[in-house]
Amino acid sequence: MRKAELKLTAIKVLKFVIILLIVDFCLGSISKEIFLNQKTGKFHRSTYSIYEAKEDILIFGSSHAHRHYVPEVIEKKLSKTCYNAGAEGQQLLFHTVLQKMILKRTLPKLIILNIDENFLYKTDAAYNRLNDLNPYYQDFKDELRPLFSLNSSLVDFKLFFKSYQTNSTLIHALKYYLSPQIDYKGYRPLNGKMTQNKAMIYKKNHSEKEFIEIIDYTFKNALIDFISNAKKNNVKLIFVTSPNLIERNISKNESFQMIKEIAKLEEISFFNFLNSPTYLNQYDLFHDPTHLNDDGARVFSKSVADIINSIN
Amino acid sequence: MLFNSIDFLFFLPIVFLLYWMLSQKLKAQNILLLISSYIFYGWWDYRFLSLIMLSTVVDYFVGLKLYKSGSKSNRKRWLIVSLLFNIGLLSFFKYYNFFIESWIESLTLIGYSVENTWTLQVILPVGISFYTFQTLSYSIDIYKGKLSPTKNFIGFAAFVSFFPQLVAGPIERASNLLPQILNAREYTYKAISSGIKLMIWGFFLKLVVADRAAIYVNAVYNNIENHDGLSFIAATLLFAFQIYGDFAGYSLIAIGVAKMFGLNLMTNFNRPYFSPSISEFWNRWHISLSTWFKDYVYIPLGGNRSKKWRWLFNLFITFLISGLWHGANWTFVIWGALNGIYLIFEALLFKNKRTGIINIILTFILINFAWIFFRANSLEEASYIINKIFTSPGNLYIGAGDDITASIYAAIAIGILLIVEFKKEFFNSLFSISKNKYEIIRLIGYSFVVFLILYLGVFGESQFIYFQF
Repeated sequence: MRKAELKLTAIKVLKFVIILLIVDFCLGSISKEIFLNQKTGKFHRSTYSIYEAKEDILIFGSSHAHRHYVPEVIEKKLSKTCYNAGAEGQQLLFHTVLQKMILKRTLPKLIILNIDENFLYKTDAAYNRLNDLNPYYQDFKDELRPLFSLNSSLVDFKLFFKSYQTNSTLIHALKYYLSPQIDYKGYRPLNGKMTQNKAMIYKKNHSEKEFIEIIDYTFKNALIDFISNAKKNNVKLIFVTSPNLIERNISKNESFQMIKEIAKLEEISFFNFLNSPTYLNQYDLFHDPTHLNDDGARVFSKSVADIINSIN
Repeated sequence: MLFNSIDFLFFLPIVFLLYWMLSQKLKAQNILLLISSYIFYGWWDYRFLSLIMLSTVVDYFVGLKLYKSGSKSNRKRWLIVSLLFNIGLLSFFKYYNFFIESWIESLTLIGYSVENTWTLQVILPVGISFYTFQTLSYSIDIYKGKLSPTKNFIGFAAFVSFFPQLVAGPIERASNLLPQILNAREYTYKAISSGIKLMIWGFFLKLVVADRAAIYVNAVYNNIENHDGLSFIAATLLFAFQIYGDFAGYSLIAIGVAKMFGLNLMTNFNRPYFSPSISEFWNRWHISLSTWFKDYVYIPLGGNRSKKWRWLFNLFITFLISGLWHGANWTFVIWGALNGIYLIFEALLFKNKRTGIINIILTFILINFAWIFFRANSLEEASYIINKIFTSPGNLYIGAGDDITASIYAAIAIGILLIVEFKKEFFNSLFSISKNKYEIIRLIGYSFVVFLILYLGVFGESQFIYFQF
């Protein structure tokens, strides 16, 4: 009797696993197709960067990269193609692995890494947001596995399921299918100008820090990794820090000072616009205290293009 | 160890296989259950295993002494030992700081300045409210002559610490679970299949419904100064499903796991949001706790077999204590009191049983209003939220960035849950996936639920809300 029950369980479980794998494969494949065929939005931009981008100049960084570098301006000034691979809300871990995935396929002439002064400070967001790269795992296991393992166990097991690879991406795809999020070679302009009053409201509403002021050595290693990837592939790399509306005291910012030291040690050119007088208190050039509007981004992109010209 | 962790994914099959390999040896099976339960609990913090062991030893011996004691006064003495020990344990770890702080605050209110030097750095041991209630009921039932104690220490220890329900219930009665543990279990495919199905639905409730809803709820409730009335209404509605998904999900997984071990736990939730009255709601929500309070607090106080005012007082006191059981914070006390007041009004205003959709909606609204106190971080925050709801509807926060899509997924998950429960509540005999005569429909149906979990679930290994109680 018991043997018969055990046999029955084994057969039923096997049937369930087979059907589950078929359902997962069919629905997961559809979901992945929808994901990879997005025409706009953040996932479209990362898919384009990873699988298609062949531009001479690639820009990496967070929203400060994404919103500040106008490829059109840089292309006109330098007569070279340019793509902005900046990703809003992402941090060094993401940028480093994205760079690795891109360099596996194509070698640009120049990479600009836009540095946020708090890049090396501890933040859970840097780990949690790596999920955005799940859909690419099957094609880039060697690059992504070490990174995903930082925050999760049994990565291969979880990402074996196709439906998990594209976990909760459908609404995002549908949203930008119905209302396309236009970008200009990866750049999305911010409109509107800053005022003193808006700056005060912004400060009040954004008082909470996303990071703890302690150096996370995983992030430091990621930065060193970013540099060595570029060097190994003979791709020129420069660091740039975007401008800010209000002057900041960065002399005591351990993260920023450490990034500067690393750049110096690794002989990476570092152009710091953080407290540049051209932008300080220029309310017309900013959308919010840390993000330039389209006018500001165009002025800034020209300056960056001039620098690139001068170092070539 | 959390059900929604990778550790549990390995733990369960290993224990399951070992358990059924020992199926001809009941004692060995119970030893395995006990060891695996202690591993399951110790995974969180092994130091607090000593409390479970102590509680087990005390109630085991109290149970035997109660049974042997001839005189009523002796029996009473032994019962007091159990009550003092279990309630003392709970009071120290859960309520000591709360009472000290409340005492100091009340002294400050009447003008005395007292320096707070008595509060202690105490960690609340996970599940303490659950296993102390379980062992208490064992001793009380023996005292009342409803139950005979067991001499089988291993079996009793396995009953107290049975891992699926150890940290968040259902709070089992010895009369239900203990005989099952003391007698041989039979391996049946039906039980295994039924257990797996319950677990799948439980994981859907937790990972998809609760954890998706939590994203919006936390964004609003943890940042109240930036939100208005409409957002608080939306967040409270979502919280109703978050806590239901979280807790009912945990219970279903616990019941499902227990079934895989040949043990039947009691039903803990029965579609509570379809209740047409508050009293009905409490017959369907956290049933193991509601019946515990009914049997060990409400009825001993006199229940409804006393004068009307006394009956209503009994109701109120029972819910007040139930509120305090949920947490050492005045928000929970008010939540409990509010439910008590609802029940008093219901008893005074309605003589006949209430039915119909209007009553279901009205009950749901009242329950949601009470949830504000349950979720708010303090009484001040709760009153701020209520004030905003009634005076300043403002704009509805729909989330920033990816939170917008999180809210949509939460709405989809809740939609699926409501459809399933609506069908079960009103059209149970209609089409069913779990009981469908075609095997392929059942297999595809449950595979699709697993797909939904993988595709829409939040996989951050988040805690279950009731762990904090």
